[in-house]
Amino acid sequence: MATKRKLIKVRVPTRERPVEERIHDFKEVNLGYDFVTALQEAERCLQCPPDYAPCIKGCPVHINIPGFIGKLLQHRDDPDRAVKEALNVIWACNTLPATTGRVCPQEDQCEKNCVMGKVGDKINIGKLERFVADYAREKNIDEELLLEIVPKIEKKPQKVAIVGAGPAGLTAAGELAKMGYGVTIYEALHEPGGVLIYGIPEFRLPKDIVEKELDKLKKLGVKILTDHVVGSTVTIEELLREYDAVFIASGAGTPRLVNAPGVNLNGIYTANEFLTRVNLMKAYRFPEYDTPVKVGKRVIVIGAGNTAMDAARSARRFGVEVIVAYRRGEEDVSARVEEFEHAKEEGVKFEFFLNPVEFLGDEKGNLRAVKFERMRPLEERDARGKRKIVGTGEYVTIEAETVIIAIGKHPNRLIVNTPGLKVERGRIVVDENLMTSIPGVFAGGDAIRGEATVILAMGDGRRAAKAIHEYLTNRAKNN
Amino acid sequence: MYRILEKKEIGMRHVRFKVHAPHVARKVQPGQFVIVRAFKNGERIPLTPVAWDREEGWITLTVFVRGKTTMRMATELKEGDEILNVAGPLGNPVEMKRFGRVLAIGAYAGIVEVYPIARAWQELGNDVTTLHATFEPMVVMKEEFERAVGRHILEPVPIDMNKSFPENMKDVTRKLTEKVRELLEKEHFDLVLMVGPAGDQKAVFEVVREFGIPMHVDLHPIMVDGTGMCGSCRVTVGGEVKFACIDGPGFDAYKVAWDELIARVGYYTDMERRAMEEYMKALQGGGE
Ligand SMILES: Cc1cc2nc3c(=O)[nH]c(=O)nc-3n(C[C@H](O)[C@H](O)[C@H](O)COP(=O)(O)OP(=O)(O)OC[C@H]3O[C@@H](n4cnc5c(N)ncnc54)[C@H](O)[C@@H]3O)c2cc1C
Ligand SMILES: Cc1cc2nc3c(=O)[nH]c(=O)nc-3n(C[C@H](O)[C@H](O)[C@H](O)COP(=O)(O)OP(=O)(O)OC[C@H]3O[C@@H](n4cnc5c(N)ncnc54)[C@H](O)[C@@H]3O)c2cc1C
Ligand code: SF4
Ligand code: FES
Repeated sequence: MATKRKLIKVRVPTRERPVEERIHDFKEVNLGYDFVTALQEAERCLQCPPDYAPCIKGCPVHINIPGFIGKLLQHRDDPDRAVKEALNVIWACNTLPATTGRVCPQEDQCEKNCVMGKVGDKINIGKLERFVADYAREKNIDEELLLEIVPKIEKKPQKVAIVGAGPAGLTAAGELAKMGYGVTIYEALHEPGGVLIYGIPEFRLPKDIVEKELDKLKKLGVKILTDHVVGSTVTIEELLREYDAVFIASGAGTPRLVNAPGVNLNGIYTANEFLTRVNLMKAYRFPEYDTPVKVGKRVIVIGAGNTAMDAARSARRFGVEVIVAYRRGEEDVSARVEEFEHAKEEGVKFEFFLNPVEFLGDEKGNLRAVKFERMRPLEERDARGKRKIVGTGEYVTIEAETVIIAIGKHPNRLIVNTPGLKVERGRIVVDENLMTSIPGVFAGGDAIRGEATVILAMGDGRRAAKAIHEYLTNRAKNN
Repeated sequence: MYRILEKKEIGMRHVRFKVHAPHVARKVQPGQFVIVRAFKNGERIPLTPVAWDREEGWITLTVFVRGKTTMRMATELKEGDEILNVAGPLGNPVEMKRFGRVLAIGAYAGIVEVYPIARAWQELGNDVTTLHATFEPMVVMKEEFERAVGRHILEPVPIDMNKSFPENMKDVTRKLTEKVRELLEKEHFDLVLMVGPAGDQKAVFEVVREFGIPMHVDLHPIMVDGTGMCGSCRVTVGGEVKFACIDGPGFDAYKVAWDELIARVGYYTDMERRAMEEYMKALQGGGE
């Protein structure tokens, strides 16, 4: 391999479905790589040594990126083997690659650091990860790998309960099951997956892919109890009596509402409600599916994060006009670049420096228009480095029948109210081992961070699994 | 998956299901509810456990056939079948204390939700009078109430075939408010409780307010998850936005923004009608 390689500066593109076609359905927008194009992209990677490779440092769970890319290159004549070995490298750190390959903000993580960026385009790490996971799934290579792993698991007597089946809980469950613990997940909704299933739309993350990734967990022996609301069906205290440790991964599900008159008018949805109706309940297929949703001729989405983009693009697929209104400027948009671009391509309009101050209704209690105050940026910056804004005293009113509020979320109140659980500003407080104020109870993901990312939640899941393992091992020793 | 141990029609359009759901039976308290998803393409609807056995692990649910989902439950589900999802118990239990003399009102199927509360309050030493206003063929649970509380009053209203359904419903509202006024004028009550359509709750509240008696209402806004995640169930109470599924469903009637609630429960009426019509069409076309 000592031959000097030619630098290929330009990224091998992935195919995307054309706007005119995709705007009418909820099928996936990006079609990903096939083996040939994946190899072409893999070839661009400089294969930096693993102890140096900056991409690995940028990945919150430190996937050996040149390692898995290297496997593809190494076995280029045997695609199945190449993928199997690449998947094995990825699985060492990440059990949901089909998901993270699709939804991670790679531009801020692994790809941000990629040295190829100095001479050309950065390596498309996310899409390569996704390719490995998708190819493996389609050819049942992931099953094969699982069958090799499962018999090697040595069962341990201790049991662990996990609250919430989002990325944090699922990852912890997988890791603990691989260590041999008896794991049971308690999930409030009727399907596991957390935001992956109820929040992020099909056109970014098809639900059958999430379901398949979850099947793997069941094969590892993880039990999932849906319809179980911790704090109500069963309390943390009761779980502690039955299990040796508990991991709280209940996310940040409680939506924040705009504090303005008229917020309860008909036609005003929180993004959580809108996306839950559309994604989890498949209201876009009403009346084939029973859950209704109403999308007016003009929809205003308030906010500019990932959630706002998902809500706006979902609403667009009902064939209506969609405006995203944001109180800051374009440079402050916190959504992933790719999704912001997709939204613009799909005809979502953007209005910046508008802050809602009142929702106006008709005599039937239905939304008619939104009154905004125009904002203006200051030079001064806030703690997150964003420019501060002030009102100008100038107002605009925009007519709309539907508003979707996407301005953030708080952790689930049913959990936060657990006696003895230390909570600050709505978030569960943990120590460096992710242990909460209750011994034996750990927490991670959005429940401790507020709304963050899938991969950070998964990273917490892994760390918590390790910490739980150490905690239980020490406890067994001391007994 | 939760097995249907028994299914029984207990009155016109009222179907009772006895369902194996040990996780709910173990915990449920009067005032709490569950969210049920009965079918694969189905929606999540809130229903109230009316009775339960903690040891045997069952609850009973009484479904009033109103639209597509409840209609499907009444027609398609048989004894021995399974309901896909029963989540709960959800919401806050009612306050368990000695109020004194309580008037507990149920309009239509609302009476089934009054049952576990009225019964528990009576057992606790309250003197509970229950009042059920509904159409004649929809009188349900008469004997159960007569056994459980101090006095059970029925106000059955005949259905007048010459009048439209909304007109008939107005007769129930009128009968109900008249009866409440009569009772409050003649007797002393320390607390009024009511479950029923929001419009009727408001009408009764307006009477109760004249007498200045405390009033507790269980609200029925539209719910999706039932765990505080979506805000579909939000109501304004005392000027603040509350989520009925985790802050309620019970609230102080004096603090509820009634007109807003009434507007919100009617938001999907046209789509609900469409779902029902298409379902009926499919039944007719697909059957035989
Ligand atoms: C619309 C949207 C789009 C997003 N897009 C991206 C993206 O592109 N990239 C990215 O990295 N991140 C994205 N995020 C953020 C990301 O989804 C979250 O950071 C991540 O899902 C957090 O994982 P979690 O496991 O902590 O919580 P969640 O995914 O929220 O899962 C928590 C689970 O716990 C359950 N639960 C809650 N309370 C209880 C209880 N009392 N008892 C039992 N179960 C309970 C919930 O039902 C849920 O299933 C997005 C978020 C949203 C809302
Ligand atoms: C806390 C609570 C407890 C309840 N307990 C019972 C009970 O024990 N027995 C019973 O028969 N009914 C109960 N209901 C009402 C029941 O949920 C509705 O009758 C049911 O959802 C109607 O569904 P449908 O498809 O048959 O009718 P639809 O045609 O969909 O609707 C008919 C009416 O039901 C209401 N409704 C519709 N969907 C919902 C929803 N998802 N959540 C709340 N209301 C809705 C609306 O007001 C609507 O106008 C309860 C509601 C709440 C909020
Ligand atoms: S930094 Fe870029 S070039 Fe280097 S190993 Fe990582 S992906 Fe390859
Ligand atoms: S039903 Fe979703 S928050 Fe209450």
